Amino acid sequence: MMVTILNVVIDGILTGGIYSLIAMGFGLQYGVARVLNISHGEFIMLGAFATWSLYTFFGINPLISLVICGPVLFGIGFLIHRTLFSRLQRISASTGAYEASSLLATFGILFIIQNAALLIWGPFVRGLGVYSYPVSFAGTTFGFNRLITPLFAIVISVAFYLFISRTRLGKAIRAAAQDRVTAGLMGVKINSVLAVCFGLGALMASLAGSLISITYTISPIMGLEYTAIAFIVVVLGGLGSISGSFIGGFLLGLIGSIVSYFDASLALITYYVIFMLLLMVKPTGILGK
Amino acid sequence: MNMAKIISNRPFYLGLIVLVLILLFTLPVYGSNYGIILLTNIILYIILTLSWAIFSGPTGYISLASAAFLGVGMYTMAILGNEFPLVVAVLAGGLISSCLALLTGALTLRLRGMYFIMFTFGLTQLAKYVVLWWEHHINAITGRYVIIIEPPIVYYYILVIFVSTLLAAYYIRRSRLGLALQTIGENEEAAAHMGVNVTLVKVITFGISAFFMGAAGAIMATRWIYIDPSIAFNILYSFLPVLMAIFGGMGQLYGPILGAAIFAYLEELLITRFPYYYMLFFGVVLVVAVLYLPNGFVGLIEKWRRRSGERQES
Amino acid sequence: MKKLFIILMMIVLVCAMPLIACGEEEPAPAPAPAPAPAPEPAPPEKDSIVFGGARSLSGFNAIVAETSFNPAWYMWVEEVNAAGGIYVEEYGKKLPIETIMYDDKSDRGTLVKLLEKLITEDKVDFILGPCSTGSIFAAAPIANKYEYIMIGGEGGSITLAEFLPSMPYIFPVIQDSSHQIPPLVELMVEKGVKTAAVIYFEDLHGVENASTTVMECRKAGIDIVMYKSFPLGTKDLSPLLREAKALEVDAFLSMSYPDESFLAIGQSMEIDFNPKVFYATVGIYMTVLKDIFGDEVIEGIMGGGAWNGKQSPRAAELEAKRIEFTGPGGMEYWGFAVFWSAFQHLQQSIEMAGTLDQTVIRDILATEKFDTDFGPWWYENQVPALEAYAGVVGQWQDGYFEVILPTPKATADSIYPKPPWPKH
Repeated sequence: MMVTILNVVIDGILTGGIYSLIAMGFGLQYGVARVLNISHGEFIMLGAFATWSLYTFFGINPLISLVICGPVLFGIGFLIHRTLFSRLQRISASTGAYEASSLLATFGILFIIQNAALLIWGPFVRGLGVYSYPVSFAGTTFGFNRLITPLFAIVISVAFYLFISRTRLGKAIRAAAQDRVTAGLMGVKINSVLAVCFGLGALMASLAGSLISITYTISPIMGLEYTAIAFIVVVLGGLGSISGSFIGGFLLGLIGSIVSYFDASLALITYYVIFMLLLMVKPTGILGK
Repeated sequence: MNMAKIISNRPFYLGLIVLVLILLFTLPVYGSNYGIILLTNIILYIILTLSWAIFSGPTGYISLASAAFLGVGMYTMAILGNEFPLVVAVLAGGLISSCLALLTGALTLRLRGMYFIMFTFGLTQLAKYVVLWWEHHINAITGRYVIIIEPPIVYYYILVIFVSTLLAAYYIRRSRLGLALQTIGENEEAAAHMGVNVTLVKVITFGISAFFMGAAGAIMATRWIYIDPSIAFNILYSFLPVLMAIFGGMGQLYGPILGAAIFAYLEELLITRFPYYYMLFFGVVLVVAVLYLPNGFVGLIEKWRRRSGERQES
Repeated sequence: MKKLFIILMMIVLVCAMPLIACGEEEPAPAPAPAPAPAPEPAPPEKDSIVFGGARSLSGFNAIVAETSFNPAWYMWVEEVNAAGGIYVEEYGKKLPIETIMYDDKSDRGTLVKLLEKLITEDKVDFILGPCSTGSIFAAAPIANKYEYIMIGGEGGSITLAEFLPSMPYIFPVIQDSSHQIPPLVELMVEKGVKTAAVIYFEDLHGVENASTTVMECRKAGIDIVMYKSFPLGTKDLSPLLREAKALEVDAFLSMSYPDESFLAIGQSMEIDFNPKVFYATVGIYMTVLKDIFGDEVIEGIMGGGAWNGKQSPRAAELEAKRIEFTGPGGMEYWGFAVFWSAFQHLQQSIEMAGTLDQTVIRDILATEKFDTDFGPWWYENQVPALEAYAGVVGQWQDGYFEVILPTPKATADSIYPKPPWPKH
């Protein structure tokens, strides 16, 4: 019995690691840059396929690819924000209008990235099994690949926390998240800060993608599924709260594995029921004030 | 008498509307089989967008529940279509969607902005998974055949729904309900202070807009022939009306219609001419549209009108 | 306000008119360049045989479209056209094949619409089957209504087979559970399997395969000790796998698509769940499995399928060409042989008919047996005869997907029990 409970808990944490990685970038992009990024899943897909390509064609270890793909996607995200979203922000009459038009723009990006990926990599299922071997722990066994993910989720969130709280840029981001206008008045280069945030979101998507490629099958059309998960997690943790997304991811993983233990076919229904109940009762998320 | 005078003549417009409607209603007499099918599809997009805009246009609440209402309509037809007359099944599709919308509306009174978007997104997904679970565990089936109706009949149904949507949209805009919605969109607290029953207004309008989506879903299901939950509750149909409405521009009633018509036509062109690059083109069009047409086509036309008006004055 | 409203109505009409109008004019064929004084029974003019398909090039079915059908189709067209085309007596010459391919975006409404476009407006000579079982269900009544032969599409189902008597023009070619499961169960009995765990995806494919398995196992005396489903979007199968492991089942059967089939393999290895029979319906036949896990891991895993290059020299040739067509990552040992045989059979049916009249061709298609590169091919009640398939179950052995069932087509004996997962 103890082993069963341990299994359920660890399964939940392992899956939760992926969830929280997926959601952190999404939460950051919405929380600070005010972009509800429907194409978040496509950035995950890009990260996954870049990792796959690097391994398949150049033999580069997926864990090294993390460090290569992340910055590249950061650059892409940064550029997209500088060219597209900052202009959108300029021409939008209100925050509401900006949110609506940026939603539309990310949908366009989704289409472009997905089609490009279909053309480049072909509509095939791929995957990397390099790290799928068992690791024994306290009487139970787990895949090494699945063990890596939550570790990275923790490392990345700690790094992010340090970045936000200790660096000048991090402080600027916090200021921008709280009050854009005042931050601008105080000399924060608001457009650059927002672009950095969007880029960081893309970077986290890329990291998530790299780790997904060693755990699950990947395909150019996988994006929307992960975006949907990001939706649930950010609501669970509180919209716009990065630490909330981090904890929310693990929580969702746990809920999933507990429900799956009893009836796997109810897992997704439970996700959405919790999602909607939370929105009705406590829209600020479980950690919200 | 110059052209401008004739065109601003009221009887001229009424005449034109009647003419267009006559053309549309007599289409099956002279149109080709595929012409009817294509137009049915374009009008479906218009209905979705227009009915979405009835609620979301003035209030600024972006709903992603369209696919849920459409899907509920479809399943209503799949279940009732064999036993009841077509009209009854279509109306039932609309009413059940409407009930779902009223319930959702009543539950989400407090939610605004992004929270409302999230909630309606969840509703669509939950509807899909619940129907999936229900069909599988309770009915032990995975999909359903829908009765097949000939294209011209479907066309007439969809046309009637379109005209009713249009009338509803038009009269809501002109009525006190429309005014109340506008006020809510501008400032919800202020509207409440002014004595507008904010809750009631929102819920009722949401219900009305869902009715048309449900009815359209019900009749379209007969064209889709075989449906299963992931097809009927395809989340794409939640995003499409939003895209089409923003694409067309929401300031005027004709904006969403224009957006949907152009969108549907463009889509048809791209998936048949450039099947392997369809999404790429589409994505670029979306991004360019959002960058250079911030108020949609309506904005473009208004600008153009204003400019030509200035030229005439000078 | 009102004015604009009318402008818009006009624009809607203007947008729609060309499409409607051009459909209208279509019946009049393009004016022939000055009718030459021809001898009396002038063969009707025709330059090509047009095949039209509305298939999922984007959306969630996109990974299905390019797996088997499209490669088989384009490779076959290339071969036929290189030989000058298909000889049709009516026209007195060989006609090359032309393909019109549309994207249905994995959306049912678009699929149905485009099919009607292909048939009534583009007036194609033949249509191609759509992707996924649900799409075939929707497309079949349309094809049948217009009396167009519809071969294949990626999906098979017992339920579909029940509809066929009322739809004489529909020829679903992909195997369903009635082809794959009985031989598999027979093999399991022979090898001494006593207990089995069945997990299945909650859709038509999963449900049919699972229920067929239960029926067959009951007949054969195999005890099904676990029978569980999982829904769309499942990201963790380990709870189910741990349960199967705890029950110490002899056979583990997963009725699932590539995503979950692969997940089941990876996670079974992770928790060291090693049943004597490890079978999954869809995806095992893809060589990408080898790329992901390596030869050692997948040794002994069984899956639906199958064909391979060992079956004949011609098969070996096609195998090499097929690998080249999509690159190694896109290779599969499942539907290619099925579609290839069906296309070759269609070609011979057309040549025998000597006309492009669907009704004539249909009757030949439904009754005649023709030789193809993978052996003789014929239909019984509009579905391929069981013996016509190049294989129904395959197993990975030494990094190659061997055909193990049915026995006459097998390229290797089955390995039983499945060897343990490699140690790290």
